[in-house]
Amino acid sequence: MIGRLRSGQGPTLLVATIASAFGVALLQVTGYLGSAMRADDVTGSSGTAALMLAIVAWVFIVIAVYVSGIVTANTVATVVAGRTRQIALLRLLGSTARAQRGAIAREGLAIGAIGAVLGLVVGTLVAIGLAEWAAAADVLPRVDHAWADPVVLSPAIVAVLITWLAAWAGSRRVLAVRPSEALGNAAARSQEELAGRRGRTATAATLATVGTLLLLLGVALGLVTPLGVLVGLLGGVLSFTGIVLGAHVVMPPILRLVGRALGTSPSARLAAENAVRHPERSSRMTIGLVIGVTLVTMFAVAMESYRDLLFAATEDRPDLRAGIEQMVSATVAVFGILVGFSALIAAVGLVNTLSLSVLQRTRELGLLRALGFERRQLRAMVLAESTALTAAATVTGLVLGTFYGWAGAQSLLGSVQGEPLVILPSIPWGVVGVLIVAAGVLTLVASLAPSRRATAVSPVAALAIE
Amino acid sequence: MEIQPSDLGLVARVAGLGKHYGTGAGAVTALEDVSLGLRRGEFTAIMGPSGSGKSTLMHIMAGLDSATTGRVWLGDTEITELPDGALTVLRRRRVGFVFQAFNLVPTLDALGNVLLPFELDGRRPTREERALIDGLVERLGLADRLRHRPHELSGGQQQRVATARALATRPDLVFADEPTGNLDSRTGREVLEILADASRTHGQSIAMVTHDPIAASHADRILFLADGRIVRDAQRTSAEEIATYMLSMERAA
Ligand SMILES: Nc1ncnc2c1ncn2[C@@H]1O[C@H](COP(=O)(O)OP(=O)(O)O)[C@@H](O)[C@H]1O
Ligand SMILES: [Mg+2]
Repeated sequence: MIGRLRSGQGPTLLVATIASAFGVALLQVTGYLGSAMRADDVTGSSGTAALMLAIVAWVFIVIAVYVSGIVTANTVATVVAGRTRQIALLRLLGSTARAQRGAIAREGLAIGAIGAVLGLVVGTLVAIGLAEWAAAADVLPRVDHAWADPVVLSPAIVAVLITWLAAWAGSRRVLAVRPSEALGNAAARSQEELAGRRGRTATAATLATVGTLLLLLGVALGLVTPLGVLVGLLGGVLSFTGIVLGAHVVMPPILRLVGRALGTSPSARLAAENAVRHPERSSRMTIGLVIGVTLVTMFAVAMESYRDLLFAATEDRPDLRAGIEQMVSATVAVFGILVGFSALIAAVGLVNTLSLSVLQRTRELGLLRALGFERRQLRAMVLAESTALTAAATVTGLVLGTFYGWAGAQSLLGSVQGEPLVILPSIPWGVVGVLIVAAGVLTLVASLAPSRRATAVSPVAALAIE
Repeated sequence: MEIQPSDLGLVARVAGLGKHYGTGAGAVTALEDVSLGLRRGEFTAIMGPSGSGKSTLMHIMAGLDSATTGRVWLGDTEITELPDGALTVLRRRRVGFVFQAFNLVPTLDALGNVLLPFELDGRRPTREERALIDGLVERLGLADRLRHRPHELSGGQQQRVATARALATRPDLVFADEPTGNLDSRTGREVLEILADASRTHGQSIAMVTHDPIAASHADRILFLADGRIVRDAQRTSAEEIATYMLSMERAA
């Protein structure tokens, strides 16, 4: 029974497939570029360049895999939370918690393996397609390349392992289910979920503090040497890791704040409460998006600041500007697409988890209908809940990204004019606009299925005794 | 001109009501040709063995479910064919509910739950309603629990909050489906006394589904259902008499 978590696990397969396909495609493309460079090696530096490319590729793969791990763990945890009664009944009948957890983890392994293989095929086909296109469009010369490089297996293997691990981590709640919960009604226990997280919170706080201090040090050093950016980079990585690790502390207050901004109608107020009723779940639902939005914004802000600086320096050479503009937009676009895959994975997770959360609230929705909630109000409630989640993630990402982007630009470029220069963050409105529109689309998409389910609930459901 | 239910002193009425589930061999008849009127200001108990159609009758009279045949009125409004939106507003303004379990919205505190029907209607309680609520809260011993969430309350306290919510809007009719089913006998009696008192002192009309003779003995009138039909319509009587009748019904079955 509990071994079959299939309902709600389709998205887990999708997530594993996207992560694997993305990693495989990226390594295939990198490998192909390596072949192209070797074929046309005038400087003799193709080896170093290929290595650099591979390192950059792995940075993006790690981000995507990390986000997919969070998403999968959250999906499994949500499914498990909705099955407390069933798990408790099995426990009551004599099944051990370990056996049940083991079954979930094995299923994660199986789903991960299927996703990895699918990803291997899809990723390789995409890379071959891109190479064909590049050759046909004369972007790259046609070169011989061995697509069956064993290296490309690595992201697929990582995807399997991470899905397995995430299923294991996400099913931890199984151990906490008491057999007696099969008898009583399992009340909300979100408070309990938060207990015992002291260690993680302390680590997160330490990382965030030390990281921020280093980042500021990097900014200060950057006023005299471009090497300040290295200190800043370390500080940025540490502090952002702290924020992601401490998402369960950082996100709920933001969700509450955003929730309050939704208004005081009953739909909005209930939606605001719903968005934080499982703080841990909401944090994990949103943090993947925060990562994506932060990285894209950071990069765009840094590039925009760089562009403004270059523009200022070339005031008497307007002929150079078109080239600069093109270089900046191309870099931001490539980066945006690469990070975009992580954001896509996070979005799949958000859509699925919101859907599951609403599904688990059938009786409550029936109660609301009995008490006089109109269908329209239920739809508004689900939409507001979805809005609270995406808006909190987007706003957080935009603020963090702007700060990190500015810090990066300042620490790298603060000394280029020979005297300390204060760089004001330049906001890339185009990118910000795209992010906000994407968040809006995600909000609507995420609310579609749950809102259809919610309005289909009959009020009689609330009166029925399970 | 048709005679309106209110002309007869009725707060709700059904005529020739039937409810069938499914078709063919698996068809179930939950209600068959039921006609009855609930009198304004009365506390009516609906009794009968399990599966006799009590809940189905209540759901249809409260506008939560639709009839297969027959007609249904709430006050002078015929609700038989009313569309979902109008039914929803009608429930919100004119009906109160107490269920056996899962009565409260878990994310709202006790006071939030009591005030929810007003909020859904986009208004605040009037001064009189506020006084009524304060009185209920006081009498139900909930004064120091208003800021607690449902999971911080005992079953009895939750049911008292639900009762306060159902009575607060002074609805035409309060429906209660096994309101004491999940409670021990002492807390159950408290809830029943509150309902009976609301009917006695405020003329609140109440329809309560129950299979507990003690619960039914608090009511002014007792309707007995068996196999989807009304088999007896009795005035207030003792728990012993009710229990004896129930036993004879079950023996006859
Ligand atoms: N949704 C349904 N589908 C099929 N049969 C139903 C449904 N709801 C109730 N019934 C049947 O209708 C009859 C009356 O049910 P109900 O009104 O719940 O009885 P009571 O509340 O008196 O126990 C029962 O035989 C029950 O099985
Ligand atoms: Mg019933």
